[in-house]
Amino acid sequence: MLGLLPPAGLIALWHCIASAGWAPAALLPLPSAVFARLLEQLHNPVFLQHAATTLFRLFAGFGIAVVLGVLLGVAAASNRRFEALLRPLLRVLAPVPKIALYPALVLILGFEHASKVALVVADAVFPILLATYQGAASVEPKLVWSARAAGASPRRTLLTVVVPAALPAILTGCRIGLVISSIVVFLAEMLTSTDGLGHLLVYASRSFQTVDMFVPLISVALIGLLLNAAFNALQKRLLAGFPGEG
Amino acid sequence: MSFKGSAVAAVPPLLACLGLLALWEGAARVLNINGLPPAWDALRELPQILGDREALLNIAASLRRMLIGFVLALLISIPLGLAMARSPRVAALCNPLLMIIYPVPKAALMPIIMLWLGIGDASKTIVIVLGVSLPVIYHSYQGARAVEEKLIWSAAAMGMRPTARLLRIVLPAALPQIFVGIRTGLVLALITMVTSEMIARQAGVGSILFNALDMAQYASVYAMIVIIGVLGFVLDSLFERLRAKLLGWADADHDIAVGTA
Repeated sequence: MLGLLPPAGLIALWHCIASAGWAPAALLPLPSAVFARLLEQLHNPVFLQHAATTLFRLFAGFGIAVVLGVLLGVAAASNRRFEALLRPLLRVLAPVPKIALYPALVLILGFEHASKVALVVADAVFPILLATYQGAASVEPKLVWSARAAGASPRRTLLTVVVPAALPAILTGCRIGLVISSIVVFLAEMLTSTDGLGHLLVYASRSFQTVDMFVPLISVALIGLLLNAAFNALQKRLLAGFPGEG
Repeated sequence: MSFKGSAVAAVPPLLACLGLLALWEGAARVLNINGLPPAWDALRELPQILGDREALLNIAASLRRMLIGFVLALLISIPLGLAMARSPRVAALCNPLLMIIYPVPKAALMPIIMLWLGIGDASKTIVIVLGVSLPVIYHSYQGARAVEEKLIWSAAAMGMRPTARLLRIVLPAALPQIFVGIRTGLVLALITMVTSEMIARQAGVGSILFNALDMAQYASVYAMIVIIGVLGFVLDSLFERLRAKLLGWADADHDIAVGTA
């Protein structure tokens, strides 16, 4: 209950500032006006179309990032040579701001879906890859030895011992990657786009429609929040019975 | 895998850079499109950009904003994270708000904050503070929460006051975790800086990048990308060396930084 105070306090403060006339409505609309507009937009097919475009790009990018990240992570954990190749690349590429690559992606892949999906992949793949690698590299060696001693082939050991044992780490990486995807897709749409929630924000800001600037921002934050919660629930279900997991 | 000696440690990342450049050069030759100039063409633009006074001033101004925002964020986030770890009430108060802020694209606040504060340094710095804060709060919180309670009890039994316990027991014990947060925060500071400048399109590194794109100076676009990429790698490496010097006693559990806007 205590935790409800700061968000409620902030909204109350927002309401006071806006209604006392300290800030003109063109700069700071009433919170009630913003939430009313949000509810109205949820029934507006045009707005929903933009949201659907954003969600499509989000999931396409996230899906590719999961496949790439898990495959590369497991490969690095199980093959020394590949690890020696991948590690320095990660060391160089991980701290690079991927958003700076966006102009290059636009030039190569065009202004449509592909460049945005590619940026989402570039940003989301790193936490997934690193979590998978760390999870798979720290699997109890005795488990692997027992499986090998019992006659399982290296590939079978990988699939039935290493990957399941690394699952908690993989899922945590995926959850972080999912929230990152929702943030990045929005930013990409703000930079160059003719559709999507990010475009709606930029469009509203060009015409000084302040209320309509808040709505896409709140929508994408809600999408991130909901996806995070949904993934959390999925993680709990998949990991039921894992040691150390709730 | 850890390398002794910085000269030896620098070899694999250097090879990785050369490999990436070769890959780029090869892809440019195979694709042969205007939008992907060969690596060499872009690298040849570097002296021109780095020799241009205006561009250098822009880059310096960006870095100054980034550092100010970064330091401000640390000053707020580390004490808050420690307070949350030591007081369940503070944690209960702050956690839901932080959870709500977590999925908000911070750089996307730029157009709204610009309405209030203009396009100057204040808006960009606030956005950077917001971008850096969360991982630093999170890791300070986790680090301080994991401090062995017996250490704190012993200190209390020996008559150490609460503030002294916080500064002399909790803070040092949590420092390795805090540094993980600071490292992520540093990468995020650069990301938020570039993103907010790309969105504001007024001044700084991000706007040079997009202006070059608008003017179809493709080699310059790629040269700017290289500059920003090198900035990210150098800042991260410098910080990692600082960490190794200060916290040589603690094992590095993460040696690769990740972050996003």
